[in-house]
Amino acid sequence: MSILFVLLTLQVSAALISLAGTILVIAVVVFLMASSSSEEDKYTAKHKVYKVRGRYFFALVFCITVLLIVSLRLLPYPNSQMPPGNTVTVVGAQWSWKLAPGEFNKKVNEFTGKNEITLPVNANIKFVVTSVDVNHSMGIYNSKGDLMIQTQAMPQYKNELQFKFQQPGDYHILCLEYCGLVHANMAGIIHVQ
Amino acid sequence: MIQITPLEKKQQKKLVTIWSITFLTLFPILITLGLLMRLNQGEEINLKANTFYALMTLHGLGMAGVLFSIAFAALWYLISTRYARLRVGVGYFVYFLILIGVVALTIATLIGKFGPGWYLLYPLPFIGTSWKPWSTGLSIISIIILGIAWLIGMLHLLYALAKAYGGITHLLGWQYLGKKEVQQDLPPIVLISTISLVPGVMAFLAGAVMLILYLLQYFEPSLTFDPLLLKNLTFFFGHTLVNITLYCGVGWVYALLPEFTGREWKTNKVVVYSWNATFFFILFAYFHHLYMDFVQPMPLHYAGQIASYLSAIPATAITMFGVIAQLYHSKIKWSVIPLMFLLGTAGWAIGGFAAVVDSTIAINKVLHNTLWVPAHFHTYMLMGIVLFIFAFLFYISSENKGYSTDIKTKLGFWIFVIGAYGFLTMFYLGGLNSVPRRYSDYKGIPIQSTHQTGVLLSQIAVVFIIVLLAGLLLMYISLFSKLLKKEDTVEMPVQA
Repeated sequence: MSILFVLLTLQVSAALISLAGTILVIAVVVFLMASSSSEEDKYTAKHKVYKVRGRYFFALVFCITVLLIVSLRLLPYPNSQMPPGNTVTVVGAQWSWKLAPGEFNKKVNEFTGKNEITLPVNANIKFVVTSVDVNHSMGIYNSKGDLMIQTQAMPQYKNELQFKFQQPGDYHILCLEYCGLVHANMAGIIHVQ
Repeated sequence: MIQITPLEKKQQKKLVTIWSITFLTLFPILITLGLLMRLNQGEEINLKANTFYALMTLHGLGMAGVLFSIAFAALWYLISTRYARLRVGVGYFVYFLILIGVVALTIATLIGKFGPGWYLLYPLPFIGTSWKPWSTGLSIISIIILGIAWLIGMLHLLYALAKAYGGITHLLGWQYLGKKEVQQDLPPIVLISTISLVPGVMAFLAGAVMLILYLLQYFEPSLTFDPLLLKNLTFFFGHTLVNITLYCGVGWVYALLPEFTGREWKTNKVVVYSWNATFFFILFAYFHHLYMDFVQPMPLHYAGQIASYLSAIPATAITMFGVIAQLYHSKIKWSVIPLMFLLGTAGWAIGGFAAVVDSTIAINKVLHNTLWVPAHFHTYMLMGIVLFIFAFLFYISSENKGYSTDIKTKLGFWIFVIGAYGFLTMFYLGGLNSVPRRYSDYKGIPIQSTHQTGVLLSQIAVVFIIVLLAGLLLMYISLFSKLLKKEDTVEMPVQA
């Protein structure tokens, strides 16, 4: 079960769900094209389709309700029940990341930090993320290249992101909101040990 | 149905033909910009970053604008020749305003290198820019001109429909919900046009507020505004524009598909409930663009996911099942037009499925702003609305000339579809491998596997884009030969 959980990342889940949906759509298209060669009275045909539609409608409403109830409990937003841990301030600027321990409460353009930081493994980290100029987005990638979590770095606002690094190693920060000419080169690093 | 004179019909046909030729000219050019972008990401060519982002901006704004314009023009033609009298002069005025906007925007991007992306996300157009300062002002003014043109067109169309069908509540189909017998049938395309264009007007007004604020800051740089408010306005405007482009196309599926199946498709209580619900989903779904703005009030995040999920109910249970009811055991002859309607609906479903996955907040945190996003919207644009548009173009070019099922057109169509889905698959795989979107190239990514995956997928995507263009060329040959062919005697569709 735990192996399945590890293999079934969010990306893999998204792929499987979308693939299943695509196969279903293709199957319907093929069925319609194949079945269209025969002719049936339009009222009979309509009646048959609408009978299936009735069942589909209730199945869909049920699925949507269940999925909403389950998925809306898994939000990435700050959780007051999470025990306080280390705080890190992150400031995005065209085109670099600045990180430093602690929360910074002065003017954001006075903030000094480095584009790398060392953090403990298995500890709750609270990232306080903002920007000195335009919108950026702090995307945290593991060393295999999987995007783990992200939040926007927005001028005039502070987004709080809570995250626990469960494996030691180097994690990379890439900018995920288009921020101008050097957007594709805006990277930082988090050493977790 | 209205009765219009042959002269009026000829005038409206001329207008839609001008629109069609404009679309057919711009569409492959804009695809080529996309091809250049994927070539650069595949490290096959070496564009300067400011050139890449200027092309990206023109590709995004151009495609959104061109597709909405032709969708609106198609709706205009169908409504003006069947349901309500529209003034052709207003149509030409809208066309020329849009032409002015498009030319100015092209100058701003290609000469001025204006490159903040289609969404001009505040305050990017004003800070750390790599483009000529004049191009910012020219672009803002161009988009205002485009917005004014579309607003005039939409308001004229809504006014004419309201006049013909007895007011806005009748256009929304509310007369079907009471106990009284309905006096005048409401064609589904009229209901769908209303459901699309009313939020369209609201979105364009939001866009107008945003652009006026931009203009104020452009002329008075000491002025600044709230980035979160402007982000909401931006996505309300952009999301709604793209969303209603697709719904305009769905409108003519309801109107034209029955001509091929011989089965009527009428408005009833279920259709009215369905599309009235869609009205609210159009307005609230855009919040899913702001999930990663954690400071956005929590209820709006919930609203985004709930609206996005619920929009699947009317889309699939009513419209898509409606298409199934049209085609099931219909003995239809598969000319390219109904084929495009069917595959277009399938593309809408596939892209919509991927969109619903991405609209799940718990999943969005690892897909947002990766290539998954262009993957799903390109699916319902390229394999949804573009197929609906080509179905419409083949339809009007075949009017009074018979609907052919020639092999060359079908071959072109299938090549186009194969190329498109190959190209889209590379986007999906990019998203699943966390490759970021809007990167001029992947050379700066310090994670080797992400860099290599991004490059490889771009290279494969290029091959599929070329396949797609080859299919498009075959379809163009067929389409233009039809447009140039003289009209035969009036001939009804295959099924009739």
